[in-house]
Amino acid sequence: MSMWKRIAGAAFAAGVLALAVPADAAQPGVLVSGDNLPANVDPHQIFDVPMQLYSLNTYDNLYRYQGNPPKLEPWLAQSHTVSPDGLTWEFKLRPGAKFHDGSEIAADDVVYSFKRVLALGKAPSGAFKPVLKPENVTASDNSTVRFVLDKPYAPFLAAIPIVAVVNPRVVKANEVNNDWGSAWLASNGAGSGAYTLDAATYRPLERADLKKFDGHFLGWGDNPKAPRQIQILPTRETSTRVLALLQGSVDLTDSYLPTDQVERIQKSKGVHIEKNTSMRVFILRMNNKKPPFDNLNARKCFAHAFNYDGFIKEILKGYAERNPAPMPNNLWGYPKDIAGYDYDLKKAKAFCDQAKAEGAPIGRAIQIHTQSQLEQTNQAAQLFQSDLAQVGVNLKIVSDTWANITTNTAKAESTPDLWIHWVSTYFVDPENWVGQMYDSQFHGTWKASAWYQNARVDELLRKARVTVSQSERQPLYEEATRLIVADSPDIWVYNTVEIRGVTDRVKGFRFSPVGSGGEMRWVQLE
Amino acid sequence: MLRFILRRLLLVIPSLAGLLVLTFFLIRVVPADPAAALAGENASPAQIAEIRRQYGLDQPLYVQFAVYLGQVARLDFGESAYSRRPVALDIKLRLPATLELTLSALLFATLLGIPLGTIAAVHHNRWPDTLLRILSVGGVAIATFWFAIELQLLFAMKLDWLPLRGRLSPGLAAPPTLTGFYLVDSLVAGRLDAFRDALRHLALPAFTLSLGGLATIARFTRAGVLETLQKDFVTYERAQGFPPRALIWKFVLRNSVVAAITQIGLLFGGLIAGAVVVETIFDWPGIGFYTVQAILTADYKVMLAVTLLIGVVYALVNILVDVVHGLIDPRLREQD
Repeated sequence: MSMWKRIAGAAFAAGVLALAVPADAAQPGVLVSGDNLPANVDPHQIFDVPMQLYSLNTYDNLYRYQGNPPKLEPWLAQSHTVSPDGLTWEFKLRPGAKFHDGSEIAADDVVYSFKRVLALGKAPSGAFKPVLKPENVTASDNSTVRFVLDKPYAPFLAAIPIVAVVNPRVVKANEVNNDWGSAWLASNGAGSGAYTLDAATYRPLERADLKKFDGHFLGWGDNPKAPRQIQILPTRETSTRVLALLQGSVDLTDSYLPTDQVERIQKSKGVHIEKNTSMRVFILRMNNKKPPFDNLNARKCFAHAFNYDGFIKEILKGYAERNPAPMPNNLWGYPKDIAGYDYDLKKAKAFCDQAKAEGAPIGRAIQIHTQSQLEQTNQAAQLFQSDLAQVGVNLKIVSDTWANITTNTAKAESTPDLWIHWVSTYFVDPENWVGQMYDSQFHGTWKASAWYQNARVDELLRKARVTVSQSERQPLYEEATRLIVADSPDIWVYNTVEIRGVTDRVKGFRFSPVGSGGEMRWVQLE
Repeated sequence: MLRFILRRLLLVIPSLAGLLVLTFFLIRVVPADPAAALAGENASPAQIAEIRRQYGLDQPLYVQFAVYLGQVARLDFGESAYSRRPVALDIKLRLPATLELTLSALLFATLLGIPLGTIAAVHHNRWPDTLLRILSVGGVAIATFWFAIELQLLFAMKLDWLPLRGRLSPGLAAPPTLTGFYLVDSLVAGRLDAFRDALRHLALPAFTLSLGGLATIARFTRAGVLETLQKDFVTYERAQGFPPRALIWKFVLRNSVVAAITQIGLLFGGLIAGAVVVETIFDWPGIGFYTVQAILTADYKVMLAVTLLIGVVYALVNILVDVVHGLIDPRLREQD
């Protein structure tokens, strides 16, 4: 027995020694990002923030947003022209740009990409489908792409960066049953971007290795220290995410870092915080078709009962900017003189009393739906619940999911009384916010889930949509926004300040609200 | 014995059929519309309707169920609406990771839990027993996510001994797939570097996951051993002057662990459920996180396949437990 004991003891000690060696250190030239991956990697099937991160690195677009505030810059296109009626748009391609397989990017490839987006009919097609037929995207010559719109659509140029240009030769070779290669491209790459996907190691939502593409059209002369590889390894848990950053096994976190972790990172050596004002508006939606929210005074009561400053200063530690209107305050078309609603329970009580006198059922149990995996939505709901209780409103918090809520917003009856979400920068144009949120033609989509209706606002927004000149559109959006704020259909809280933890060996980080700073072309690794 | 196993296998069929019907209809009555989720954030109602038609979601439920049964019979679980890959392929890549984690946790809990329970019973009401009682209550009561984070802080951050997350170091290539269990595949391929790395990555998550099971097995073993110690045959053997150590570990234990082994079968289900939390904290690329994503995004084909598969694994583990029971206690086989 004693011999066995000794053997077991020795084996245990050997095991501990074998396992207990220093953990993984950062690898030279390899940037590890803990940011999220899209559900699949076909940029024509998905259009969300994780996809922006992926496609900004692996694909190119005709025009691309750069900087903060984002500026639209020529990318694969050198320039564009638009006819005076706003219907015909022509884009001249830059010569010599190449796909990852070495073939040159021609006008036909861009035409194929737009036709593919329209044919698949998924999220990226939303901005184009109402105004563009596939047959009206043509190549005038080898380097000119022409779009003829069914009707003038001013945000067309702003939406152009949504479409990633794919290599038709590679995609067509992998088509099955006329699926436009969608099953194949969901796990593979066919782009021309600064980095190329290593499909062999790709695992949906878990891992994507991107390798530097030496032949990228911008060249690498301005960035000799660019990472040779970017590994995207999403960290799912906030605590693990921050620990991995502090340990150096992850170079970048995502941009949803909770504010309570900021101090911890700031106090640690070898890491720092990148803090940038974005264009992501946090909103509490009210269902204007359901009593009591069909009553203006009831809506004003709710708008005055949210503790904006308390939420921003105490819960978000000041990492947000008060934004009292539906559009981000750093976008054109935002009326600078707008004051919005302040936190004042006396005013709230007075409006609620008025609403009650007008027959609004303020006393009924009102439900607010939060997104269970997004803690901030729960925090906002709890704060609101305690304040509303003081003005006699019984608010019930319902934990829900994005998929479920957005399904229910298809009809006014099934849309929650209240729910909470952000509107991110899908394209930089007031149409992305005020246009699609408050024009009644969008009823049935999650963005228009306030079910707001105002004939004058509809008229202004529709006119702005078909007017090409920005200087003429600006006053239209300003007037529409003032009218909307006066009607108080929703509760607009803040414009996001994005916070990302970064290791000190990462230099040259550039932020743009489009893609939330996910474009790595400019990053250097020391 | 063969008849015993066959009978157990036959009993699984109605359970799985029930599971198949129940999951299909339960998942389809959830209000989230898979077509709306599939169409994406910026889709118009017309786009959603088109997708509903494309995926056959506009058909009556019984038609959809018939189509689904046909697919399951061919072991075709369809395509994930999100990754656009065959669900079977995604599961094949992930299930071994979860099984390696849960089975390691179960093995650890059993190998440690049974001796600990026995020692506690033998030292009834003395300090080893008291210590075990404290530990076993703690083991069941401690929140897994808290314990996991504490382990990360100590072993990965402070001591820098074990990795924080993942299944293998990023720079290391995975061993050629044979079973999907990295520990087994790396040994078969003679890749000792990968074996060591995989073991280091497995240590913290498996230990975290094993904690509840370890406490349960130890408590049931303790109770079983205490009961057996009161039996006449033990008194008789003692009176005969049988060496006490051999008596405990050879005879008493064999007569005491039936209840603990039953627990192992039941624990396995709990471990798979617990793996969701552990996989999330340690970024373990298993089926747990995949399933949670599927639920959040209403990817119903994945939900159906995973539920069914976990049902099958759970049933198989319980058959195995029954067989072990039969081996330990021949009376059970005869009763059957």
